[in-house]
Amino acid sequence: MSEIAAKAPTKAPTRPRRRLIASRLVPYLLLQALIVIVTILGIRLLQPSDPDDYAVDDFSAREDGLTRPVTLPHFTSSRYSLADPPIYAGTFTFRSGDAASGWSVFLPRFSNAVEVAVNGVVVLDSRRDTNANRPDRNTPQIAAIPASLLREGGNEITVRLFVWGPLKGFLDTVYVGPDAALRPAYETRTLLFVTLPVVFSAWQAILAVILAIMWLMRRHEPVYGVLATAMVLGVVQAFAPPPVPPATVSHLAAVLLASAPIESALIVVFGVLFFGWRWPRYGTLLFVPGVLVFVVGLIGGPPLPRILFLVLGIPTVGLCLFLMACVTATAVVRRQDAASFTIGCAVTIVLVCWVQDMLTVLDIVSNDRIFVSRLSYSAMLVAIGAGLTWRFARALNQVDSFAGQLVTRVREAEERLKASFAREEERARAAALANERTRLMRDLHDGLGGQLVSIVALSERGSTGASITDAARAALKDLRLVIDSMDDIGGDLMLALGSWRERATAQLRPHDITLDWRVATPQGLPLHPELRPWHVVQIVRILDEAVTNAVKHAQARRIAVTIDTFDAGQGPYGVISVTDDGGGFALAGNGEAAGAGQTARGLRNMKSRAARCGAVLDLTSDSSGTRVRLKLPQRFPDSDMAAG
Amino acid sequence: MIMTEQGETGEAITILLVEDDAPTCWRLQDALAKAGYEVRSAGTLAEARQALAAGAPRVLLTDLRLPDGHGVELIREMRQRFPDTEIMVISALGDEESVISAITVGATGYLLKDAFPTDIATTVRDLVAGHSPISASIARFIVRRTQGAAQNSAEPPPGPALNTARLTPREIDILWGIAKGFSYAEIASHLGLSKQTVPGHIKNIYRKLEVHTRSEAVFEAVQQGLIKL
Repeated sequence: MSEIAAKAPTKAPTRPRRRLIASRLVPYLLLQALIVIVTILGIRLLQPSDPDDYAVDDFSAREDGLTRPVTLPHFTSSRYSLADPPIYAGTFTFRSGDAASGWSVFLPRFSNAVEVAVNGVVVLDSRRDTNANRPDRNTPQIAAIPASLLREGGNEITVRLFVWGPLKGFLDTVYVGPDAALRPAYETRTLLFVTLPVVFSAWQAILAVILAIMWLMRRHEPVYGVLATAMVLGVVQAFAPPPVPPATVSHLAAVLLASAPIESALIVVFGVLFFGWRWPRYGTLLFVPGVLVFVVGLIGGPPLPRILFLVLGIPTVGLCLFLMACVTATAVVRRQDAASFTIGCAVTIVLVCWVQDMLTVLDIVSNDRIFVSRLSYSAMLVAIGAGLTWRFARALNQVDSFAGQLVTRVREAEERLKASFAREEERARAAALANERTRLMRDLHDGLGGQLVSIVALSERGSTGASITDAARAALKDLRLVIDSMDDIGGDLMLALGSWRERATAQLRPHDITLDWRVATPQGLPLHPELRPWHVVQIVRILDEAVTNAVKHAQARRIAVTIDTFDAGQGPYGVISVTDDGGGFALAGNGEAAGAGQTARGLRNMKSRAARCGAVLDLTSDSSGTRVRLKLPQRFPDSDMAAG
Repeated sequence: MIMTEQGETGEAITILLVEDDAPTCWRLQDALAKAGYEVRSAGTLAEARQALAAGAPRVLLTDLRLPDGHGVELIREMRQRFPDTEIMVISALGDEESVISAITVGATGYLLKDAFPTDIATTVRDLVAGHSPISASIARFIVRRTQGAAQNSAEPPPGPALNTARLTPREIDILWGIAKGFSYAEIASHLGLSKQTVPGHIKNIYRKLEVHTRSEAVFEAVQQGLIKL
């Protein structure tokens, strides 16, 4: 009980799968059964009808020195020598009234070759017709009987049947009569058993070329190459001249005719690859019988290939067909697609034809010895080849539409990218604007705002004159600085300093202070593409502060601004120095406490401004003057170093 | 300080001051009158035109934003009717926007409204002597515009339209010097000129930037390939 309970859950998932397989396999098998019936009926129905009015079937056969009466169709034992063939002798009645169209003798089926004589004169030898020498092609023969040979009333006809093993000899009913009456039946058989196979073979040859080209261009899909090889073999087999004993023909031609097992094995390979499986290594064994027939045939020569073909080759073909049927059935269960269904049905038809032929060979079914498997097989190959070409064309169409889709998708992606880029740009611009606004606010707050507030405070206290004027002037100066700094100066700090020089000169003129301006290098300061307006504002404020200090607290008479460029090997950097000849800060500090406090605060301000721009401020002050040295960075920082 | 400014003929130099803000007007008038100039003032365009009926002043100082119109109109009229009058624009901030638009109609400089009285007088005296003042920021604006024209940028640069095509390389060099804060003497020595010729060059620059009439503007545009006929 417990074991069953334990097993139950593991079994459970397999059950629906089995049911699924069954639900798919059963209808398929039923369909195949239907196809089997239809095929058998078809073979029966397609049996060509012969003009029975002119049948000559009572013969006396002389075989191995023994004469006995026989009724055609007649089988005779297999043999490997053409000497002393069985001779069938019969009689027919000729009426000269029917002689208008001439008389013929018509042999619908025989194996392997016949020599027909009328009244002792040979009128037909089928060995000269290569097609007629193929046992797998049910070639009919017809021959006109010269009128001079015919006698009114009873005439004698003898048929020598040449047989080369391993198959038994066979002679179907012989027809003798007016040519007009026999010819249509002959034509029908020729069309079915001679012309049609040639047409199929030609078709196969064309497909072989197409598939070979496909395989050459797409080496990673061996399925095309396999099918092309199979078709080439089939074509060679169809057009190779069949050997007629005792003529000595090349061994190669002999074995090529026996290449069907290799061909069928190739078809199995094709099936496996076509349905997307890997070809198993042991699958190569399938080629062993075919190769064996080939090799032994090459060494031994006829009739060995024929014998081996019969005992090894034909069963191999049957095995291959059976395997192919299994492969397609599996594919049908798994894939349920049109290709597997179609190929499966085709394989079933060929298999039925093969079974029918086997039964014929083994004399189990009397079918006038008409072999149909080769014909049906050729038809199947043509169908597969056409299907593959169709699939290839469809794949090309898919590629086309894929390319179209790709173009559309690329365009869509491009649109999206453009939109997102525009959005990003918009965002970046908004961010830049916000940054600029913040910067402007801070600049205005630092300068203009404080000065305006101090103007308000001064005027509220009722103070008049210089202090308010100074504050207002400072406010205006700062406003001009902020506006000026917004101009694009292309990274050339000299342009900003040029404006500052003007303002400073104007500022100093009422105080009677001279501004010396010395630019050490002709081009001024190095260019800084990364220079931003807020850097300019900070630097100019530092210089303003230095000048203001010199005027207010050091009582200088002369202020010198020196602009210099140095290069210590790591790229050039600028240095701006503001030197005055005033009393210095230490002295001012001792004398005036408030002034010293203000100066100290101004100094702190200058240092922090310099630090924000990545510059270094250096201040030396003594009684002979003050020197503010601003060493600019080699590269101005992107973000405000002291912000936030 | 010289208390009376006189022209070559010995007569007092007349100035027409157009400014609508009364305190500013008084301030400038005081500074100029103290320096010895004969100053007439006007608060609106209409008043200015009335004052012109009495005769042409030697110097016109005008604000741009006036209650009944724009100072640019007055400058243009002045250039056409009295070509000998020196024109300067009065500006609170000396920004390019206002100054350049005045220059293109014929002004040859600007005066800051908060300039010290001595500077006001000096500027006017220099102007009358044929020295057109130019500031570093205006020079900078002009040279940057010449660069922009050379780059052939598809978008027109911001700010007032300015035709810099007629400026010679030497004039552009002078402007660069001014923009970078060099004095006239320094510029002259860098460029191998005589110091006295620099103001003349600047006056030429102003003249070349001026667009006299509509038809001339069109002519200029065609010359520069801006318009295809």
